[in-house]
Amino acid sequence: MSTLPDQQNAAPQSSSGQRGARSAVVIGGNRIPFARSGGPYAQASNQEMLTAALDGLVARFGLQGERVGEVAAGAVLKHSRDFNLTREAVLGSALAADTPAYDVQQACATGLETVIGLSNKIKLGQIESGIAGGVDSASDAPVAVSEGLRRVLLELARARSTPQKLAALRKLRPVDLKPNAPTTAEPRTGLSMGEHQAITTSRWNISRRAQDELALASHANMAAAYDRGFFDDLVTPFRGVSRDGNLRADTSLEKLGSLKPVFGRNLTGEATMTAGNSTPLTDGAAAVLLGSEDYARKHNLPMLANVVDAEAAAVDFVHGKEGLLMAPVYAMPRLLQRNDMTFEDFDFFEIHEAFASTVLSSLAAWEDEDFCRTQLGLSGALGTVDRTKLNVNGSSLAAGHPFAATGARIVASLAKSLAEKGSGRGLISVCAAGGQGVVAILEARRP
Amino acid sequence: MDRRFDAPPKLPTLYAAALARQARNALRRPAPADLLPTERHRVDNITATQEKLDAFQRLMGRPQAEFLPSGYLHTLAFPVAVSVLARPDFPLPLLGMIHLSNEIHHLRPISLSERLSVTAWVENLLPHRSGTQVDVLVDIETDSESVWRGRSTYLAKGVKANGPVGTALPSAGDRQPEQLPEYHTRQWALASDIGRRYASVSGDYNPIHLSGISARASGMKRPIAHGMYLASRMAAEMGPGDATPFRWTVEFRAPVTLPSRVFLSAGMDRSVTAQWQGAEVTAWDPRRRRKHFSGRMERLGDSAGEE
Repeated sequence: MSTLPDQQNAAPQSSSGQRGARSAVVIGGNRIPFARSGGPYAQASNQEMLTAALDGLVARFGLQGERVGEVAAGAVLKHSRDFNLTREAVLGSALAADTPAYDVQQACATGLETVIGLSNKIKLGQIESGIAGGVDSASDAPVAVSEGLRRVLLELARARSTPQKLAALRKLRPVDLKPNAPTTAEPRTGLSMGEHQAITTSRWNISRRAQDELALASHANMAAAYDRGFFDDLVTPFRGVSRDGNLRADTSLEKLGSLKPVFGRNLTGEATMTAGNSTPLTDGAAAVLLGSEDYARKHNLPMLANVVDAEAAAVDFVHGKEGLLMAPVYAMPRLLQRNDMTFEDFDFFEIHEAFASTVLSSLAAWEDEDFCRTQLGLSGALGTVDRTKLNVNGSSLAAGHPFAATGARIVASLAKSLAEKGSGRGLISVCAAGGQGVVAILEARRP
Repeated sequence: MDRRFDAPPKLPTLYAAALARQARNALRRPAPADLLPTERHRVDNITATQEKLDAFQRLMGRPQAEFLPSGYLHTLAFPVAVSVLARPDFPLPLLGMIHLSNEIHHLRPISLSERLSVTAWVENLLPHRSGTQVDVLVDIETDSESVWRGRSTYLAKGVKANGPVGTALPSAGDRQPEQLPEYHTRQWALASDIGRRYASVSGDYNPIHLSGISARASGMKRPIAHGMYLASRMAAEMGPGDATPFRWTVEFRAPVTLPSRVFLSAGMDRSVTAQWQGAEVTAWDPRRRRKHFSGRMERLGDSAGEE
């Protein structure tokens, strides 16, 4: 057993992302089928779904009773009791109880960030293996008591005498009994993600037709991928569901075109964003097994792709300087520059479809010479993404988008695509609430 | 000429007295308004309380404040200002006056423990195209140093003023069509109880803000948000957010009826890293495309806050 990286199998590039470090490889992934919120997983908790995703991964790679280096996962809509969500899921899974775990929360970039964090630990030699992932339930979402009731309850708990208790109770107003349900509104702007994106969509003049076409392609690509068995070793049935519930193999431009706009209706221009070209609230969980090359060989596990490098960015959406979901646009040139690459160097593009128009706005921005010069500080347009290489196995519009689970879904699918092709690179772009975005590069293993 | 009060006047008492006087006056033919009282009202030793400050910050959705927010200082000074408007010799009816605009110079950070002196007086009784307008001025001092100055302009609708010739404002027909920003950068979802909530932290229980019934009794179809709630929230969300001295102005247009959704656009003179320099804010009704208010905030020179 050698601790030296296998030179023949090491990544064939000299990017700073890996310079001097060993490789972190994607071994495989597993997720439960995603389901629309309020549907078949309405009674399933985040912990239950994450545990199911982990157990599926454990079963697939024979990790029963094994201690994995570390497990990192998270959820966006999280109950306060789930403070140690990932560790609790590990304890409930078939993994060894001495497997450490930690929670990550970076909104929709959570899943991708867990992959990056654990990959970096593997590259540094701190761990040999890791499981990255995420889960979200919009059905089993936390409902909190109102701020008024919460204050009264806390004061009541502090009160010692009966008069003090009565004084606290007298502060209660009927309106305080109304609970607070979670929203997707940005705390600083009061606008939902869709309303934010509607402004970006309008600014970039993204047409309804283009959005519907992208949504149609997502469904068609994912349906075809299911048909050819692509997801057979990526998805494990859960609660009687074996395919993503949001997937509409038989949808058409006519059907998508008949839907009424739901976002941007208060803007002056035409409202173009519908339930068909926006992701629905979704329940689901996903996980990815990562390891060093040594670990994979020792356990006789496949090596699908290397995690090469990643970059995060954030934009000032609060003051309207940039769209809420446009941060990946800014992360991308920094990542490409550091790795001395252009869009031409990639065979697969996985751009998370929060909304069809998010993808199209990003593509338009990278093609816009003026924007790239003034906003990204480049000498010209960043480039054009070859649409035939974009989300070739479908993305969030078809699969649905359980916020924190999406990153692991994308990484596992892209790694498998790269392994199937046997060469090339893939680029991931994920936008997130708070005006954040994360992009990452995966690379095929040399046969 | 200052008239000193030992303690801040109680707003409900002032409103009740004004209401009684207006009811009596309603029976007579109103005399034309021409002269303003020149006496200033002054209250010393006003201090903020932590509890009220916390309640104000909760309403604004902001964290606990080290220094008194500009909008909160307005609530401390407001009863003194109203006491001038409630004087028997003040020529306009207090209740039903419409807040047209506001200008505040917040000259230096003021901490919770400072003892404040508030002086209020009225100036500039002028004819307005739909009545008579007046400026209410407030000066907040600590140790004889002016730290916060406010000028609120109010309109008494339908009241004629014998103002100086040539001060008449343009008539309604001359107004420009409303220019609204193309996009909003944030929205406020204002619940029907926002008037009651602001009243509870500011003491301003003017019935037009409180409920449908009380608003109808005052001649409004629905309750409307306090102008100073909107202005304070603008300053809280888009102002400097720290101890930076700043000047801020608000011009109110269509009132915000409750409940309501308000679109806002804030052009901010600040890059992500640079210091706050100011902001231009427009707030409007997205459905009817009517402007609610426009605001302007600007950093004051650093010397403004120093001795």
